[in-house]
Amino acid sequence: MSLDLVAAGTVATVVVAGTLRAATPIIFASLGGLISELAGCINVALEGVMLVAAFAGVITSAYSALWFPDAPLWLHPWLGCAAGLLAGTALAGLLAVFHLELGADLIVAGIGLNILAQGLTVLLMAHLTGDKGSTASLTSFALPNLRWPGMDGVPVLGVLLNGDGDAGHNVLVYGALAATGWVAWALRHTVFGLRLRAAGENAEAALAAGLPVKRLRYAGLLLSGLLASGGGVFLGMGYLTLFQADMAAGRGYLALAAVFLGGHRPLGTVAAALVFGGATVMAARLGLLAVPAEVVFMIPPLVTIAALVLVKQHQRLAARRRAAAGRATLLSS
Amino acid sequence: MTPSREGARIALAVGAALALGFAVMACVSDQPWAAFRALLTGPLPSIERAADGRVVVHRLVRFGAWLQDATTLTLVGLAIAIPFRARQFSLGADGQLFMGALAAAAISLGLGDTPTALPLAFLAAAAAGAGWGLVAGLLKTRFEANEIVTTLMLNVVAVQVYRLVVGRVLNDPSAGFITTPPLPEAATLAPLIARTTVTAMVLVAPAAVAAALFLLRRTTLGYEIDLAGANPWFAVRAGVPVARATALAFALGGAFAGLAGFHVSNALLKRLPVDLTPGIGLEGIVVALLARGRVGALPLAALGYAYLRVGAQAMERATDVPREVVLVIQALIILFVVSDRLAPLALGLARRASARIGGRAA
Repeated sequence: MSLDLVAAGTVATVVVAGTLRAATPIIFASLGGLISELAGCINVALEGVMLVAAFAGVITSAYSALWFPDAPLWLHPWLGCAAGLLAGTALAGLLAVFHLELGADLIVAGIGLNILAQGLTVLLMAHLTGDKGSTASLTSFALPNLRWPGMDGVPVLGVLLNGDGDAGHNVLVYGALAATGWVAWALRHTVFGLRLRAAGENAEAALAAGLPVKRLRYAGLLLSGLLASGGGVFLGMGYLTLFQADMAAGRGYLALAAVFLGGHRPLGTVAAALVFGGATVMAARLGLLAVPAEVVFMIPPLVTIAALVLVKQHQRLAARRRAAAGRATLLSS
Repeated sequence: MTPSREGARIALAVGAALALGFAVMACVSDQPWAAFRALLTGPLPSIERAADGRVVVHRLVRFGAWLQDATTLTLVGLAIAIPFRARQFSLGADGQLFMGALAAAAISLGLGDTPTALPLAFLAAAAAGAGWGLVAGLLKTRFEANEIVTTLMLNVVAVQVYRLVVGRVLNDPSAGFITTPPLPEAATLAPLIARTTVTAMVLVAPAAVAAALFLLRRTTLGYEIDLAGANPWFAVRAGVPVARATALAFALGGAFAGLAGFHVSNALLKRLPVDLTPGIGLEGIVVALLARGRVGALPLAALGYAYLRVGAQAMERATDVPREVVLVIQALIILFVVSDRLAPLALGLARRASARIGGRAA
């Protein structure tokens, strides 16, 4: 009996750990999307930012080993990580310049930058490795895993804390959790967060109050680039240990959906990102059964659409209930 | 802005994007000049006078590829441009195209070699595309679901539905790869120009643009779509059925993307492989953008952009530059075209620089 419980608990925690792993890139990107959205700028370029960050991270870590053969091994992935964050943030900066300085439409420019990222990464990959598919021929590095010591034999908790194969979770999985906490706190409890939201809520009022709206929007877009880059770096140096063409595979757009789904709130957004991660894990689990792969691949997009619809229905019902409650108190008084 | 100035601005943007694209090519290639020449002259047929005095035309295949690519791009451009009249960013042309191609192939195979197969497949493709577009439209108007997200998600679903049906229902077991059987002769279009894939669809595309123009300019629905885009708040107050007009704009765009699917299945490939590559629908964005939302300018924009695409294929075959360089050029065109303040800024800088040089010389 208790053995069954342990087995069931282990399966559940394996799913939870897998969900967390699959959701990490989406969490990073959706937090980025949330920040720029709250600053009044929808960032459609999250997808491109992730691609560029993953590419720069993988390539830099691989070349770092070639250029600095005497450097300690742990240095290469961190150099790659820094380069990835820098490159992704630079792409978001490009979006900011095109929108804020040159008057480009934000959505169209974002799509343009996604196409640019897709083209440039494949072009440079083909130039550097002679392969248009992936960087499998290069030896790139992964960021380290964090392992809780002494959890070896502990049944359920061990799997949860150290993953399925007792290898620990990638440092960026913890990074995503930390970023969630930081974003939730900064948006709510810092002056910067308040100003950022003011710039997005009502730009004219914020300007009249003397806030540097344009600079705040730059900050929002650059921060969103930095966060989404974290997701991209995880894809190339944690989730996998190489770069593939079109590696982000729509996660940037999923992250955008998570922002809408989460009602523009940090915890809601991350919850939505976890739902998307869970849909991927579920799809992989169903793929082990006799379900056709095509049906499995339909699950994440259908979950997204269903979730968007359900949240809207829920909000509508809540608004109606609030209105009814308001009427009732008015009538009774 | 007047059309001629707008045209000059777009020409400038395309020129600047090509120049930067060349710079990128020079970085990654040993033979940038040859690559650039192949990119710019690839789609043209070469006409030579043979030794015995006859005129021989070479490379008609690529010329044909240019025309048929422009046909597809015009139709998917319509699928982007029409919802955009209602200020909706539909990215769903891909899914609508796959649904249209699937419906056309299914009807053609179902009806077999009968004269009704061709018109019915044509209508089925349009209906399937419109239906798929309508889903996104209703999600937007009924549930306020962001159309960028839903159309992208519906694309994924459509591609998987397509693969499921082609792989498991319409599959031809005698073929060496997963594909539908060849479509019956009566349901397919014969080429208009020998040795190419240019069919009557090359005439359908401008006709579709004319029909869309008529619909948008001369019918109540078109007027309602424009009003819903220009000022939805005012339109609702004035009693215009904004939600219906918006949803129908999606459906209308989807019908044209469905026709692009018919073009792919019944004119180009004449059988549908399971791994038909998605992505052409997103190219419609570039076309709609180059036309600056003007439906009448779509064919011209499609011809221009298709020229670049076919040139890139020629370049990839002839040199060491991968065709992805066109993605870079395409992205730069998008960015330069939408940056309204870029041209005045560049011109101002150029003027100041020339004034400084002139002052120094004096």
